[in-house]
Amino acid sequence: MNRFILADANKCIGCRTCEVACAVAHRSDGDVSALNEVNFTPRIHVIKGAYISTAATCRQCEDAPCANVCPNHAIRLENGFVHVLQENCIGCKTCVVACPYGAMEVVTYQTVRDTGAAVNVQVTKAQANKCDLCHTRAEGPACVEVCPTEALHCVDRAELERLTAEKRRRTALEASAHNVYA
Amino acid sequence: MEKATVVCPYCGAGCKMQMVVDDGKIIKVEAANGKTNQGELCLKGYYGWDFLNDTKLLTPRLREPMIRREKGAPFETVSWDEAIKFVAHRLSDIKAKYGPRSIMTTGSSRGTGNETNFVMQKFARAVLGTNNVDCCARVCHGPSVAGLRATVGNGAMSVSVEDIEKSKCLLIFGYNSADSHPIVARRVVKAKQNGAKIIVCDPRRIEAARIADQHLQLNNGCNVAMVNSFIYTILEENLYNKDYVANYTEGFDALWDVVKDYAPEKVEPITGVPAADVRQAMRTYAKAETAIICWGMGVTQFGQGTETVKSLSTLALLTGQLGRPGAGLAPVRGQNNVQGGCDMGVLPDLFPGYQKVTDAAVREKFAKRWGIDPATMDKENGVKITEVPHLALEGKVKAYYIMGEDPLQTEADLSMVRKGIEALDLLVVQDIFMTKTAEVADVILPSTSWGEHSGVYTCCDRGFQRFFKAVEPKYNVKRDWAIISLIATEMGYPMHYNDEQEIWDELRELCPLYFGATYEKMGEMGHVQWPCPTLEHPGTPILYTDNKFATPSGKGLLFATQWRKPGELIDEDFPMVLCTVREVGHYSCRSMTGNCAALRTLADEPGYVQINPTDAQVLGIKDQQLVWVESRRGKVISRANVSERINRNAVYMTYQWWIGACNELTQDNVDSVTATPETKYCAVKVVAIEDQHWAENHAAQIYSEMKARLRNAVEEAKPATASIA
Repeated sequence: MNRFILADANKCIGCRTCEVACAVAHRSDGDVSALNEVNFTPRIHVIKGAYISTAATCRQCEDAPCANVCPNHAIRLENGFVHVLQENCIGCKTCVVACPYGAMEVVTYQTVRDTGAAVNVQVTKAQANKCDLCHTRAEGPACVEVCPTEALHCVDRAELERLTAEKRRRTALEASAHNVYA
Repeated sequence: MEKATVVCPYCGAGCKMQMVVDDGKIIKVEAANGKTNQGELCLKGYYGWDFLNDTKLLTPRLREPMIRREKGAPFETVSWDEAIKFVAHRLSDIKAKYGPRSIMTTGSSRGTGNETNFVMQKFARAVLGTNNVDCCARVCHGPSVAGLRATVGNGAMSVSVEDIEKSKCLLIFGYNSADSHPIVARRVVKAKQNGAKIIVCDPRRIEAARIADQHLQLNNGCNVAMVNSFIYTILEENLYNKDYVANYTEGFDALWDVVKDYAPEKVEPITGVPAADVRQAMRTYAKAETAIICWGMGVTQFGQGTETVKSLSTLALLTGQLGRPGAGLAPVRGQNNVQGGCDMGVLPDLFPGYQKVTDAAVREKFAKRWGIDPATMDKENGVKITEVPHLALEGKVKAYYIMGEDPLQTEADLSMVRKGIEALDLLVVQDIFMTKTAEVADVILPSTSWGEHSGVYTCCDRGFQRFFKAVEPKYNVKRDWAIISLIATEMGYPMHYNDEQEIWDELRELCPLYFGATYEKMGEMGHVQWPCPTLEHPGTPILYTDNKFATPSGKGLLFATQWRKPGELIDEDFPMVLCTVREVGHYSCRSMTGNCAALRTLADEPGYVQINPTDAQVLGIKDQQLVWVESRRGKVISRANVSERINRNAVYMTYQWWIGACNELTQDNVDSVTATPETKYCAVKVVAIEDQHWAENHAAQIYSEMKARLRNAVEEAKPATASIA
């Protein structure tokens, strides 16, 4: 089973520390002071509604719609998460439309491409931006590390089973308490 | 790579962290396991340090001493020697001509630390001979200090930050911890997880209200009516602790006479809170095994701020919810060292250690230590910062020495404040950034920043914590207390300190409350809470454990008073309430966080005005559109943040914005005791702007013009060619 980042809305205070941590973790220079409104493209988003504050990001679906629809096979399930091979991404946004969680975004950035004729031209490169569980980061997902209220968790099979068992137990106990079958 | 242990320079939570420094440059910040933060930081702690590198994202660092020869002339850079002489001679002249009380000084609740604040009040009291020293506690928790000193004796949290998570019940009144102190909000979340009952009194559905058991969504401007209905309920339903009241309090007999007209059912039309909810809340609070009342600016920034604080402390005294782990009073201080500013006596009525300036014996003690004649000391309480503009216009205050504060951003009714500042003969600003106040100074004294120096801060729960220097200052700047010492010496009072510890030891010896809080005891990671009277004493995490209060009689004073309406009410022309609030990613006047790349990226000018969707719809305003917000005193552009969490007929603006500056709109109705302005309530109208394209361009243009002006003020300053003095 793929691991995924899950936010507990009962603990989230909407501070957006996770967003900045994500943006910094995905910079090759790791330099927070280089962030600006153009390159600030976090893969986790704090959502605030009337009664809820939480953070939304990729669920790393087992049968991932984004991977299924990608025309260039840029999205693959590998290393235990849904991985975008950025060199294959053409920025078509099909994955953005397919994702039921709004976890996928296509962002563009300027880069320099060598045309092969000893001429470097500035080109716009697209990138399908989604949570990669900080797979190259030794300490693991940056958002989980910084969340001041410990609202974020990286859920694996064991954790998911624990959560499910807890819910099952609660439902059963509440049902007996209300004596629904008596 | 080296690591330096510091305390976060932003809110009062007192988070310990480590700056990772490589080759003299900060690479990143790591959370440290401090007493209050337990290895956690918020976004400001992690990502709020790059202002040190003079990013000029908002405004430039001050790099050289500068002088303006006449009002309106450009700044000229001068040597430190020239700047010090200029300030000293001008202050001496003004003192000789108009007397010591014509000079006003400020401490700073921010990065400079306790030692500097001690030196500043010493400068005012021993060198200038005036008690005219104050700090921005005046515009935030001044009423908490005054109110609690009157009822229980100490103007500070009676419990520790960690008690918040241990408590069985939190009554959170006018305090948005998630935006003001995320690392304290974390304790509220933990309390909830531990099964505590949470009661939130706030007009907005703030984060804590989301997880609360009860949200009493009261109308704006009726705090005293609300608290009176609490007291009424506690008395009428016999919820008070009779033994506690009889043994440890006084003033019980007078209470009922005041609150008898505030039955929850009767005040419902005023507060908008169903009476049954009020009664339920008080039953929960009074019967809880332990309970803490947390409050913030939503209590203090009202004309009745001090009275509300006294009434809230009455709830705790009536129910005996004091003096035990998880039970007490928690006015959570806003700035990293605003508790410290008060501790160090940058207050016009108190010496360091909360010793009264009107007490001859206390004056004599300080005079003796400072080697001056007690007869030369000011015997009266000094001027409060919010009185300065008025007194300047009356010609009574002639010189203003402002250190590490930005009144032209943070004080209420800015057009009035500007007039007052313009009327001064001399404005000296000592700061790290070209703030709006620095921009109009006659003299600029550039100082070292947090990160570039060491010292001690007091966090919100009375904890003294040391912080250390991480990097060398890059510019021609000096340590704040060294600048003050040089001016004092030039004025004929030799003052010299070798380091912070020398200052700290002087103040410890003068303050019985702090005597045992030595540098050694604090160490690198320690957190020593006053009172700490002896060298053996470990500090005091919880006040009043013996139910003895630091009042003249030793008893807690019960208090209630009649509710009054706010100073300015809404009407047909200005039909909405403006309440000023906080932005989670920004801090105080924003000179620091506005220069941090990540924090600026999350939220930038012209700032936001929070409004209910129905109000927005009626006004024809869509989310994220630019709008005008106008009061009788001014008009600013701001961005609508349409949110269902906002109550009807009220709007909320964070006070951090320099373009969408809500203090252009706020009013000067002040608390009768502390002169704290009522920045939580004034009447405004919000007007949609049809041409959004024009509005976006306009907002961007005035922002960029302002930034250019502030940058040029620093970069285009030429060395002075003619002699200054």
